[in-house]
Amino acid sequence: MFEHFSDTVVLSRMQFALTSIFHMLWPILTTGMGIYLVIVEGLWLKTRNPDYYYHARFWAKIYLLNFGIGVATGLPMEFQFGTNWAPFSESVGDFFGSILGFEASMAFMLEAGFLGIMLFGWTRVPPVMHYIATIMVALGANLSTVWILVANSWMQTPNGGDFVDGKFIVQDYFQAILNPAALVSVSHMFLATLETSLFVIGGISAWYILSKRHSAFFATSLKIVLAATIAVAPLQIYVGHLSGEQVYENQPSKLAAIEARWETIPAGEPAPWSMMAWPNGKAETNEWEMNVPGGLGYILALKPTLPTPILGLKEWVPSDRPPLLGLIFYSFRIMAGIGVFLAALMALSVLQWLRGKLSDEAISQQRWLLRSWMFAAPLGYIAVETGWTVREVGRQPWIVYGQIRTAEAASNLPPGDVLASLSIFTGVYTLLLISALFFGSRILREGPNLSLPIPGVTVDPDGDSTPAEFVPDQRPVEAQQ
Amino acid sequence: MDTLTYFLPQVWFGILALFLFLYVMLDGFDLGVGILSLTASTEERRGMLMTSLGNVWDANETWLVLMGGALFGAFPLAYATILSALYIPILMMIFGLIFRAVSFEFREHSDNKRLWNLAFAGGSFLAALGQGFALGGVLAGIKVDAAGHFIGSTWDWLSLPSVVMALTVIQGYVLIGSTYLITKTEGELQTNHYRTANLAAWTTLLGAIALTITTPIFFEYARIRLFNPPQVYIFSVIPPLGVLLIGLLLRSLKQRKERAPFIWTILIFLLTFVALALVVFPYIIPTEITIYEASAALSSLVFMLVFIGVLIPIMLAYNVYQYVVFGGKVTGEQPEA
Repeated sequence: MFEHFSDTVVLSRMQFALTSIFHMLWPILTTGMGIYLVIVEGLWLKTRNPDYYYHARFWAKIYLLNFGIGVATGLPMEFQFGTNWAPFSESVGDFFGSILGFEASMAFMLEAGFLGIMLFGWTRVPPVMHYIATIMVALGANLSTVWILVANSWMQTPNGGDFVDGKFIVQDYFQAILNPAALVSVSHMFLATLETSLFVIGGISAWYILSKRHSAFFATSLKIVLAATIAVAPLQIYVGHLSGEQVYENQPSKLAAIEARWETIPAGEPAPWSMMAWPNGKAETNEWEMNVPGGLGYILALKPTLPTPILGLKEWVPSDRPPLLGLIFYSFRIMAGIGVFLAALMALSVLQWLRGKLSDEAISQQRWLLRSWMFAAPLGYIAVETGWTVREVGRQPWIVYGQIRTAEAASNLPPGDVLASLSIFTGVYTLLLISALFFGSRILREGPNLSLPIPGVTVDPDGDSTPAEFVPDQRPVEAQQ
Repeated sequence: MDTLTYFLPQVWFGILALFLFLYVMLDGFDLGVGILSLTASTEERRGMLMTSLGNVWDANETWLVLMGGALFGAFPLAYATILSALYIPILMMIFGLIFRAVSFEFREHSDNKRLWNLAFAGGSFLAALGQGFALGGVLAGIKVDAAGHFIGSTWDWLSLPSVVMALTVIQGYVLIGSTYLITKTEGELQTNHYRTANLAAWTTLLGAIALTITTPIFFEYARIRLFNPPQVYIFSVIPPLGVLLIGLLLRSLKQRKERAPFIWTILIFLLTFVALALVVFPYIIPTEITIYEASAALSSLVFMLVFIGVLIPIMLAYNVYQYVVFGGKVTGEQPEA
């Protein structure tokens, strides 16, 4: 264990893992919530119902908190390629660096350039201009997903050029950008950020309804979320299946690790799915396992047998196999399980909605359903983190699959320096996490500010400017039920 | 094809210089305001200083991200070598920027504002210090082997000239932060920043003189380049021009002009940039690696130029629009996000 603390490669990997696992938590919410903000602001512009406007204002506060930490923790990611992974940067910079440049210029700058207007510009620009700013922020955030996932997918399935003396020479940029993993990875991550954000918004809304605060107000957001998840949750399961197919075709050693499969399953033979197993890397076998006959065949091709063989881990020499098999195996099952659970929760909620149980009056009686939504709020994050663990650890020992080994890609830094920076990152990020949870919960306890001036509505100093049909219910919450 | 191998790396060197200049100018005043927030006498005033940046700091910082990405793509060897050589200053900058960024949000919601005030000012200072050391480290030269890979120690960047450089960068940021605040504030707060601008103008002058004298003394390559034609003609113009600009700046401060000090400061920054480019070009790591040696394949440079080059005017346009929307003085009333 302790010998790792004097190994620069291990330390640099730990630092990259820590910083990316932590960074990812924040943009997940801002990219998905950006789309939600576009929806509610659009509803406001269309209906002029002030509730939608206050939704836009309230959720934007949570957006801002996440955005600030996302920016702060994203910075080390970009610089680490140079500081800790200099040989990698040099050998793939022609392509990989260009893609990061695209991310900064067409995605990040767009989001950053319009964010100020979206957050603070309500009374400074006309509503249409404000709406354009909101759309640009959402577009920028989601384009970031596109470019980052293109860059990462290329590391999974390098394409569009050749490695000459360890340096990647691009022959066809579009082929490199549209590498075999790119489209499905971008879609999978896009849906992941959207689904996570929807269940966070839904979970927080459920909490307000359960605590009998602004019940009708938050029933609206819960229903917007629910309407969106009807499409998103099943689609994500389907794209997840496509993602599995892609790994089966292009990254056989990763698939073998995900399935803890040691022996090759020849083509045409029934492919079982190991539901549970305990892989032992030294003994090259599973200590125990529970198989579903034909399960893997159904997962990958919707029939019990497969047209091409599933390679077992023994096809590779031990140094070419992914490490930490148990981590990969269980991370995958946690991710997939969460995907199924969220879809089931969506289906149940839709059923209750159709039965009329989610009306403003009845919704607070749906206690078990609301509690399930609160329970679901953090699950998307766990699914994304475990999914990325499968993706990144499963790619090992390669940094560029089949081409460059991770161990050869690290900068030759003194281990003491990296240990020091890793320790500072750990300390600073712990502080950030505690602070974010603390201030985030404070924003939630304060709740929406329903007295903000509405743009375009002239305030009558003597009375309430809100149109009559939208006068908020001023009675005590008990009387509202 | 030969003209392209010569021309395209120069174009990208120019684009990187533009991104770096925009960053140093824009985030420069952000960091300067951050350091200056230590001088604010009340919480309300400190809040006003932070409000003056609230809607722009993030877009300003993005020029740094953009420069990082463009350097990575256009000059991968330089990106890899410079960043691994400057491990410690880069991390100083990163941790500084992390604290600067989160303080905006955390201070707003916190009861214990002192803690986040300190994080804001300290973060800004640390980021400026790291940038100064990084610049000094690059100018002092980076030890590389025949393939251009870094072979020195992680403390090579620390030297007397880099300390002078770091102090001057901090002074410069305080100066541009002060002149920015003059345009954004009124009354007592503005008076205060006329004072800080005046002080910073003098210390920046001292720093500039120190760097002008020490650069040729400490760095042989700079001496050879600067004192030989054709550079010597341009070089001989820069110091008097710099003194003239600082003189104009001091005069505008004395006359209590509102916008002129900021503009003179930008011109001083621009002049410094031209001087630095003169010392460095065509090297990207002085006297070791030229832009031609470090550049990506021509096809990459063209590909990036098509995608990023087209976006530069668009990015500039919506950034300018943002400044137009949030133009005018900051007041005690803070817009609620």
